[in-house]
Amino acid sequence: MCILVDENTKVLVQGITGRAGSTQTKLMLEYGTKIVAGVTPGKGGTTVYNVQVYDTVEEAVAKTGADTSILFVPAAFTKEAVIEAVDAGIKLIVAIPEHVPVHDTMRMVEYAKSKNVRIIGPTTPGIISPGRTKIGIMPANVFSKGNVGIVSRSGTLLYEIAGNLSLVGIGQSTCLGVGGDPVVGTSITEILQMFNDDDQTKLVVIVGEIGGTQEEEASSFIKKMDKPVIAYIAGRSAPPGQRMGHAGAIILGEKGTAESKIKALKNAGVEIAYRPMDIAKIAKKYL
Amino acid sequence: MRLFEYEAKEIFRDFGIPTPKGTVVNSPADVALAVEKVGLPLVIKAQVLVGGRGKAGGIKFAENLEKAVLETKNLLNSKLKGHIVKSVLLEKKLNIKKEYYLGVTIDQSAGKPVIMFSTEGGVDIEEIAREKPEMLVSRKVSISRGFYEFEARNMCKQLGLEGTLLTKVGEILRKLYEVFVKCDAIIAEINPLVVTENGEVYAADAKIEIDDDALYRQTSLNKKPEERVEDPLKAEAIRVGVTYVRLDGDIGIIGSGAGLTMATIDIINDFGGKAANFLETGGGINEQLMYNAVKLLLQDKRIKALFINLYGGINPMVQAATGVAKAYKELKVSMPVLVKLVGNEQEKAWEILESVGIPVVKSIRTEDAIEKLMKIIGGK
Repeated sequence: MCILVDENTKVLVQGITGRAGSTQTKLMLEYGTKIVAGVTPGKGGTTVYNVQVYDTVEEAVAKTGADTSILFVPAAFTKEAVIEAVDAGIKLIVAIPEHVPVHDTMRMVEYAKSKNVRIIGPTTPGIISPGRTKIGIMPANVFSKGNVGIVSRSGTLLYEIAGNLSLVGIGQSTCLGVGGDPVVGTSITEILQMFNDDDQTKLVVIVGEIGGTQEEEASSFIKKMDKPVIAYIAGRSAPPGQRMGHAGAIILGEKGTAESKIKALKNAGVEIAYRPMDIAKIAKKYL
Repeated sequence: MRLFEYEAKEIFRDFGIPTPKGTVVNSPADVALAVEKVGLPLVIKAQVLVGGRGKAGGIKFAENLEKAVLETKNLLNSKLKGHIVKSVLLEKKLNIKKEYYLGVTIDQSAGKPVIMFSTEGGVDIEEIAREKPEMLVSRKVSISRGFYEFEARNMCKQLGLEGTLLTKVGEILRKLYEVFVKCDAIIAEINPLVVTENGEVYAADAKIEIDDDALYRQTSLNKKPEERVEDPLKAEAIRVGVTYVRLDGDIGIIGSGAGLTMATIDIINDFGGKAANFLETGGGINEQLMYNAVKLLLQDKRIKALFINLYGGINPMVQAATGVAKAYKELKVSMPVLVKLVGNEQEKAWEILESVGIPVVKSIRTEDAIEKLMKIIGGK
C-alpha cells in the first residue's frame, strides 16, 4: 500500500476554475487521479475538463462522495476553504497555497484537528503515490513507483531528490511535502509514523531544511522506527537571522541550524546525505 | 515586517498599554520643542530595525537641552550595525525599580501562540531561558479560545507578583496578546516592562513584527516593507515579488523553491564557489517576474556568473524561459549564464533558451549543473 492516498481516493478541487486550479486539474487527470468534483462559488453547473463544478463543498460531497480536497484558492481565502471542507465531511485537505497568514493557519489547523481532519500544508506541493494517484502540483515525470517514502519540507527539492532516485531505478511508495511554513497541519514525525506502518515503504527519506525544530523532534521517533532513514538538510551555508524564502526557514540563535538537525538525526541512527545526489547512492545500500 | 519602536508604541497606546511620554524627532532643530513637550531628563533612542541597539551605542541620555540636541545630532544619520538612523525617539527617563519581560510569539511545533513572562527583564529572552529558566513562565494558548486576564494573572503570580502590581502587569500581558492577535504579529514583546520607584508601570521598549503574508489586511499600518530595508537590491526584490538575501560571493543565483535554492548554494559552496545571493521565486513565476529577477541581479556588480535552477510543477517553464531569454537579449548580458530547468514543457523551454545562446543543463542533478558552471567560470 501507500500512505494517506491511493487510486481509490475521491478528490475534490476547491478553486477548480482558476488558472492554477484548472491547469493542475488537467495534469492530475492525465496522471489518473480520481477527481470527482470541483468547487468554485458562482460557477456551479459548469465543467472543467469534464469535471462537474459545484457552488459549495457540501453539495459536491453529497453528490460525489469526495473524501479528499485539494485547494487552489487565494491565500486570503484558504482558512475559509479549509473550514468549509471540514464541515462538509472531507477527511484529508491538501493545502497548496503559499503566503497564507500564519494566524489563519493556526486557526484552521486547530479547527481541523478538533474534527479529526488532516491538513497537509499549506505551501505544500501535495502528495503523490507514483502509479496510483497524484494530488498535488509536482511534475509527474520525475517520480516512479517503488519502495522509498519521501517526506520533504520543500517542494522543488522533493522533485530533485525523487528524480535522482528514479534516475538510478529506485522508485517511491509515497512522496509528499509537509509545507514550508512555520506552522503546518501535519509534521514530519506524523508522516514517519505512517511510513513505518506502511508495507510498501522499505526506506524513508527526509528532506529537511534550516529553521524550526521538526527534524530534531522527528529524531526521537526515528529511534523507535524499524525502517532505515536517510536525511538531507538544505541550508548548511545559510546565514543566521535571514528568512530563506520559506517563512519557516530561518536560523534564530542556536535553534534551527543545519548542524543541530544533522546532529540530532545522526544520533537517531539516520544516515546523512550531504548532497541531493548522494541520497540515491545511500538508498542503494538499503534496497 | 518589523515595526520601529515608536510605531509599536503607538499601537501599544491604542490598546491601552502604558508607554513613557515621548516624541519622534527627525532633525536636531525639533529637539527643543520635544524637550518642552516631554520634559527632562531624557533618554534618546535611535530608531533602527536591528537588535542589540543599546550595546551598539544607540541609546543616550540627556539632562539638559544642549546635551539632548548634541546627542540627537550625533545619532541622526549615523550607522548602527549597518543601519542608518533616520529618526530618534525622545522619551522621559524612568526611575527604574524593576524590569520584567513580556512576550507573545508562535510555538511552531504546537501551532499555537505562546505567552511568556519573566521577572528578569532587560536581557534577551534566549538568555533568560538559558541562564534562569526558573524565572520564566510560558503558556501555549488555543487561538480560537483566546487568552484571559485571570490566566495572565496566574502566570504573574507564579513568579511572586502580588497586589496592584499583579493586576496591572496581568492586564498588560493580556493586552499584549490582544495586540499580537489583532496585528497578525509573529512577535509582540515588551522588554523591559519597567516598574518605577513610585509604582507606575511602562512599556519601556516595544517590539512588534507583523506577518508579511498578512500585511494586506493590516490596513491601518499602511507601511511599505521595501522602505524598511537598507539593501537597495532587497528593496527591489520586494517590489518584484521575490525573496532576496545578500550573501558574500560572486555567483548570482535564481531558484524556484526555497529548499532547492538553499541546496544549490550549499552545492556551489562544496564545489569551491560562492553564491552572491539567495533569490527565490516562489510559485508565482511568469515572464515578467523572471525578466525582473535577472535584471535585479545584473545590478549587483560583484556577480561574475549567473546560475538559474528551476522546476516546473506549478510554475510555467515556457514563460520562465521566455522571461530569461528576453532579459538576456535586451539587457545584453555578457557574463556567463547557465540554466538548469526541468518540468512542464521542458523541451520547449530549453529551445527558447538555446535559441538566444544560453547553455542549458538538461539533467535533473543540480550537481551536474554546478560542475559545468564551475568549469565555465574557471575557463574564463
